[in-house]
Amino acid sequence: MSFLNADEPSVVDLIVDFGLEVLWHPSLGVEAGAAAKKIFTDCVDGTRPLDIFVFEGSVIEGPDGTGRFDLFADRPMKDWVTELAAAASIVVAIGDCAAFGGLPAVAPNPSGSTGLQFHRKARGGYLGADWVSKSGLPVVNIPGCPAHPDWITQIIVALATGRAGDIALDDLGRPQTFFTQFVHNGCTRNTFFEFKQSTLAFGEGTRTGCLFYEFGCRGPMTHAPCNRILWNRQSSKTRAGMPCLGCTEPEFPHADLAPGTVFATQLIAGAIPKDLPPGEDHVTYLAMAAAARISAPKWSKEDMFVV
Amino acid sequence: MSSTIDLHVSPLGRVEGDLDVRVTIEDGVVTDAWTQCQMFRGFETILRGKDMRAGLIMTPRICGICGGSHLYKACYALDTAFQTFVPHNATLVRNIAQAVETLQSIPRYFYAIFAIDLVNEKYKSSPLYEEAVRRFAPYVGTSYQPGVVLSQKPVEIYAIFGGQWPHSSFMVPGGIMGAPTLSDVTRSVAILKNWKDNWLEKQWLGSSVERWLENRTWEDVLAWVDENHAQRNSDCGFFIRFALDIGLDTYGQGWGNYIASGTYFDPASYDRPTIEGRNAGLIVRSGVYAGGQHFEYDQARVSEDVAHSFYRGSDNVHPFDGEQNAIDPFIGAKEDKYSFAKSPRYDVPGIGRLPLEAGPLARQIVAGKPATSDFQDYDPLFTDVLAKKGPSVLVRQLARMHEAPKYYEKVLQWLGEIDLHGSFYQTPVDPVSARGYGGTEAARGALQDWIVIEDGKIANYNVITPSAWNLGPRDKDAVVGPIEKALIGTPIHNPEDPIELGHVTRSFDACIVCTVHAYDGKTGRELSSFVINSMV
Repeated sequence: MSFLNADEPSVVDLIVDFGLEVLWHPSLGVEAGAAAKKIFTDCVDGTRPLDIFVFEGSVIEGPDGTGRFDLFADRPMKDWVTELAAAASIVVAIGDCAAFGGLPAVAPNPSGSTGLQFHRKARGGYLGADWVSKSGLPVVNIPGCPAHPDWITQIIVALATGRAGDIALDDLGRPQTFFTQFVHNGCTRNTFFEFKQSTLAFGEGTRTGCLFYEFGCRGPMTHAPCNRILWNRQSSKTRAGMPCLGCTEPEFPHADLAPGTVFATQLIAGAIPKDLPPGEDHVTYLAMAAAARISAPKWSKEDMFVV
Repeated sequence: MSSTIDLHVSPLGRVEGDLDVRVTIEDGVVTDAWTQCQMFRGFETILRGKDMRAGLIMTPRICGICGGSHLYKACYALDTAFQTFVPHNATLVRNIAQAVETLQSIPRYFYAIFAIDLVNEKYKSSPLYEEAVRRFAPYVGTSYQPGVVLSQKPVEIYAIFGGQWPHSSFMVPGGIMGAPTLSDVTRSVAILKNWKDNWLEKQWLGSSVERWLENRTWEDVLAWVDENHAQRNSDCGFFIRFALDIGLDTYGQGWGNYIASGTYFDPASYDRPTIEGRNAGLIVRSGVYAGGQHFEYDQARVSEDVAHSFYRGSDNVHPFDGEQNAIDPFIGAKEDKYSFAKSPRYDVPGIGRLPLEAGPLARQIVAGKPATSDFQDYDPLFTDVLAKKGPSVLVRQLARMHEAPKYYEKVLQWLGEIDLHGSFYQTPVDPVSARGYGGTEAARGALQDWIVIEDGKIANYNVITPSAWNLGPRDKDAVVGPIEKALIGTPIHNPEDPIELGHVTRSFDACIVCTVHAYDGKTGRELSSFVINSMV
């Protein structure tokens, strides 16, 4: 549903202007009087060419490997996935569930959920570590919960306009153009991170400070352009005072939502953040933090996002 | 000679899972129906043993279209468990967020999901058919495009306060995570007015919001349509004329019994949220309407039945004690089980446990109860419509669309009441053991959470969605669920293309996608099938 918030191109533009033929979409399908099933079987047997197979949702393998916790058009969805993935030139996983298994795959994973080519951090997933589509590409993962509509539409337009060669993937199958930078880049609270000044409370407390020290913000460790390509053209979680949950990383939800880990920074020795920006070590971090605090100007301890 | 046909509706959605509906037709009329949810994800099982606040992250992600509603009620469940104080500004922002999600859903649902069926060839003989195609044809319809694209606008306001839509978790026990600045409020007002000007008034109503809201009776609505050219030819005026011409007011009745868990709080009347004090704080009220009578809503009277659901367990469990022991559907089928949805039931005083319909029509019927506080939404329109027309596909649609002008006015009012210099959050004390209950009205109906906290973590969690109320299967007494009931009695013009089933199922706006398969009941031959798409 996030997808319908896309702009430039909007979903209507995609179809009307870019000539994308959407064979079937759960919200946009207009098939009437003909089995949607026929579309799927025609794709599987090659009667209809399937350029891009876009899958959303986890692949459900339960109970006991049967896949019968998710029946779709009279058979386990996972069987459709096997056949459609084999028939498609390119396979795109949209959202954490399809990419990594997502929330349903959190222990005890009652539905037997997994991602198309990853299970959480581990390469493999449903299709297997070495699987490639007809075009020779592994699954293109556009993670996030939800995936930003722009990440989806821009990649689809790139594929549809012959720019597949420009889509370089990182080692988690994510397009590098979106998932090299951090959520931290462009965050309006960066200046407080720089001087190690913490937000101390939600609500009016978020008129100042950085959410990394107390509230478990994962912006500095999470690869996504949330503060470059804004949400709903307006804002981002961190701008609005909400800590980044790290939802474009395969570990999401981090620490599997264990008691004490939600909206709370995990600390070592009661003071040092356990998770640091990639490449930083705790000793160097401590030294840098001490220097930053000493150099912190007065304004960095005052409200900035004022009425 | 009578002919019997079975229609098999297979679910194809991702929100709550996939849905199959099977229907038997005799002599051109649906005589029986089964709604079969075909997907199990086990979110409530996953929540056990997790952080007390995990529902704020997990439950919005149950659904792609109602994420804000899930957050709203999950947060109130924690507020009642934590015994928080909620600053009045935070209540206003929560109300605004809940309402703009609903404002987004109304046109998106109408154009993308419902109205595209109005261009079905069955209606070719209607004098209004060509105009319906011109407006409502998918992607290219003159109303479809702006209706769908402009539906993004209200949730831009959600993003301003909550960072993003969908799937923010910015509501927390004790208030909200952020604190808006001046331009957050002024921009929100501008976005809202822009949406009102460009879609709500210009395209949908053809009149002012105020003029539409003067309608108090069915006759008022009909007179409004004919009042002038602009109203008669607005999407609303045209839809009413077309729907009456093609008979959408004649079927899809359902049980005629309704549930609303209510939503939007008067800040001063619910700043210390409790389960017991909830009804008194609601602006859009809770209530049950059954057997032609209004009843006070009491969450203690809700239960779930799994007699025909793919779970082990009792047939009468209160949500605080809910279990999710899912079984292989192939094994369940041998025990006459046919759905992963449970069957929610409500114990109506003096009547007994009933299936109830949730949704905008339920809300608008409850809104017809005499009000006891000034801030409560009192609105007699649908009490009158129900009395004169009875429930139907058309009436369900009208109730949904009627909420757009109503909630537009509310959001504007709440934006004006925010005290930017005031408080938006008060840090609560985490309980060790507690129980909480929170509810709201998602666009498509009553949405509620029950949480049990023990030893500082979640011991049990139970979500009952509007789709569960509406799509739930038969209960232990073989009493059919609301959509099953609404399908029964539906006249089918052409079993090869049973578009009427689409209208009925879609009129509930269930967040599940279905495919319909038509079978000849005597030979078992599949006659037709079609997809009922949905917002996922």
